[in-house]
Parts: sequence; C-alpha cells; structure tokens
Amino acid sequence: MKKQLAMVIDSTSCIDCKGCMTACKVENKVPPGKWRNWIKEQDPDFENLSRSDNSESLHFQPGNCMHCDNPTCVQACPTSATYKNDKDGTIKVNKKLCIGCGSCIPACPYGARYRHPEEKVVDKCDFCERRRARGELPACVTTCPTKARTFGDLKDPNSEVARLLKSKKTVKVFNRQTDTQPNIYYMSMTAPLDWPLKAETPSAIQLWKAINPFVWGFVGLNVLGVLAMLGKQLLIKDESPEAEHKQREDVHE
Amino acid sequence: MNSKVIKRHSKVTIFMHWFNAFCWFFLLATGLGLIKNKDLQLLGGWWSNLMYSIFGSGETLLLVHEICGLTWLVVFIVYIIFGSRKYVIPFLKQVFTYSPATDLKWLIKKNIQMTLGNKWLKRLGFTADIPEQGFYNVGQKLFAVASILGGIVIAATGIIMFLSNILLQNTAIVQWAIVIHFVAVGVVTGGLLVHIYMAAISPDERPAFFSMFTGTVPEDYAEHHHKLWYDEIKSAERKAHSA
Repeated sequence: MKKQLAMVIDSTSCIDCKGCMTACKVENKVPPGKWRNWIKEQDPDFENLSRSDNSESLHFQPGNCMHCDNPTCVQACPTSATYKNDKDGTIKVNKKLCIGCGSCIPACPYGARYRHPEEKVVDKCDFCERRRARGELPACVTTCPTKARTFGDLKDPNSEVARLLKSKKTVKVFNRQTDTQPNIYYMSMTAPLDWPLKAETPSAIQLWKAINPFVWGFVGLNVLGVLAMLGKQLLIKDESPEAEHKQREDVHE
Repeated sequence: MNSKVIKRHSKVTIFMHWFNAFCWFFLLATGLGLIKNKDLQLLGGWWSNLMYSIFGSGETLLLVHEICGLTWLVVFIVYIIFGSRKYVIPFLKQVFTYSPATDLKWLIKKNIQMTLGNKWLKRLGFTADIPEQGFYNVGQKLFAVASILGGIVIAATGIIMFLSNILLQNTAIVQWAIVIHFVAVGVVTGGLLVHIYMAAISPDERPAFFSMFTGTVPEDYAEHHHKLWYDEIKSAERKAHSA
C-alpha cells in the first residue's frame, strides 16, 4: 500500500447538523432511503444525570466506511468486485464486476454498504473518489462547519491525520468479535462504542468455503482415475486393444 | 477385420458436440478466473491472474463469460425445440434406459480392466467377458445424465446470476445460485476428465473419437464395443434386404 487514506474525527465537536450526510447524498447521488455515511448518537442517562458530570451528556459520532485493513466485506465477495485498492488503501467496488449478490452487506460490521435499488449492485463510501481526482477533499470533510473530520494519508508523516495520531490520544470503534482494523480514528472521548455488529458471511458463501476442498477433491479423484488408466495404457503393453478384441473374439467363438 | 463403416452420428449431433465442448472449455476457463476471492482459490490465484491478463480486466472477463453462457443456452434451446423428435428425445431415451444388474457388472469389470488390466480382472475372480452394450455404454450414459442434469442446473443458476443486477431483489437466491453453479460445474468436470481420456487418449475408443468428425465407425468397432446396437443395425439391414 503506497498510501492509506484515513480520517481522524473529533466527535466532541460534532453538532449533529447532518451537513456531512446531506453533502454526501448530493455529491454521490445516494438514492432515497440510503446513506453512505451517518451520525451515531449517545443519549445521556437522564435517570442518573448530575450537573457536574459532563461525561453522560449527549454525544454525536459521525462516520462512514472505515476502509479497513482487515476487510471482512472483501473476504465475503466471490469475485473480488469489492477490493482493497493498493494505490490509496480505500475499499472500492467495481460496479461492472459486481453481480449484486449482496454477500458483502452483512459482512460489514458498520452497515456501510447497501444494494443500490436501481443499479442493483453494491454502493458505499469511496472517500469521494471523483472529488479527490480534482484535488478536492471528500464532500463530508469540506462541508463540516465545526471541522470535526480531518482527512489525509496515514503513510505520509507530514499529513494532518498522521500529525493528529501522533499528538492526540485516539481510539478505533470496532466489534470485539471481528476487528476489521478500521482506518477511521476517533479522539478518545468518543461515544457510542458498542454499536458495530459482528461481521456475518451469508450461509451460502460459508458453505461454499466449507465444501470447496471437497469439490476440488472430487475433480482430483477423477484426475487420479484418468492417471491410473493412462498408467495402465502405457505400462501394461501386452494388452493392446487388438489383443483384447482377439481375446473377446475367442470368447464369442 | 473389415473396413466397412456404420453411420453413428448426424452432422447436427457432431456440430452440437463440438459447440458444447468449445463452450464448456471457454466457460470453465473464464468462470474459474472469475473466482478471485483468495479463500475460494484452492490452487492459488495464478489462474485468475492469467485470465485477467488475457481479457484485460475483471469486467471484460465477466462479460465474455455471460455472452458465451447465453449463446450456449440459446443454441441449446433452439436445438431442443427444433430437434426434439429427431435428436433430443431418442437421445434422452437412450441415456435414461438402464438394466441395473448387467450395468453394475459392466461398471465394476470395465473399471478394473481400464485401470489394472485383464490379468487383474482374472486374478480378482472375474471372467474376461464384459456385458454387451447398446448405442452407448453405461459409462457414457451416466456421464450423459450428469451433463444433462448438470447443464440444466448450471443454466438455471447462471440465469439467476445474470438477472441479479438487472431485475432481482432477493440476494439470498443469487448467493445460493453462485454456490450451486460452482458445485454442478465441479461434478460435471469430474466426469468430463474421464470422457476426454476415453475419447482422445485411450486407444480403445479411438474410432469413437474419429466418429465425432466423420460421423461413422468401423463395423468391427461397433461389434466389439456396442454389440447390441450393432445387432440392431444388422437385423434392420437384413429386414430391408428381404423386404
């Protein structure tokens, strides 16, 4: 990986204005009812609220595809239509190779993927590839009024994200059962932390992975059978087909 | 030995055989190349990489696989509709007719004979005679049945995958279609290896291989390998002469 594009998000400064969601929706023409990014929220515990304790306050946490280093979505895709781009470290979808089987959707612990209702293939955040090609930042980063999102290349030590990671205490939000090694970092005060799901591979794809050796084994057995016949053909010279035929003619007579 | 020949295959049959063979190789090669997921590549990624470099990209590989698959399907549908009475139904009758007792004997003896030789056949306590066969032998019939049923399954699941990003909403069906497509291809490919060995490499069936080009087999080959069929042809000839 030459680059690893990433985000460092200071969720304490998020005011839940939904500007990032709106900008993304417009920029990427995300269909009605679907979203490429989100703002999670932590409700305060109103029962035990105390005036002095600020930790229980309402907290907003923006996010989108985490462009993981251990992408469970890529592992679930049969054709690798979804793959980790080795140029910039983003997780991409080749929509022309995707047949819309949807195997990757439950495989994402963050729910970052959806099947496009018209295109019928999978769609997700691509860190605004078109804008980046024009030298611009992703729409959600540019639009954020409180500058909660910082975007850049982790592998470049002079980038803003690398500098933030070095100087501030950050955390990753992931499910303990499936650490996908996400590339979105949050300032350590972030909440909620318990929302990512366990990555699920659809049962058909699981079964495929389980029976794959048996299918190859069956083909291999046939190869062995053919090799046995070939060996016999080459090694046991005295039984040419003519000899066999003669023998059978003798039986007939 | 006589040099007389008997007609075995029509031009249509010969065309369908080689059309089917070409499509099978092409679809098998490109289809295996499409499985780019590392966890599903038991023999490593080299085949996928080779196919990607031949066709330039994954999407082109998918496109040619789909075009070839659909062409195969359309040609077979035309064949089934227009050739049903002349070719398809007689063929189905042939390959779905079995006589279990002698068929089992044939399968056991022929397998020993082909892999170990006649000496071992005797050493294992079998007689050297092999049950007489009709137009197709049991092995050919079983492979034909596997190809027919496999072909139907492969075509149906292929259509589901093709329609997936055109009109389908239910993705679970598509996921199952991919897996079943793969398994069915695996089963038929196993039989295909034996079929290719028998026809192209084994000297026993060499005349049958040539008949897939010329349409005819030598009489003595027919008599030795397909006795029941040979007798039928001969008695029909006799009737025709006497009439």
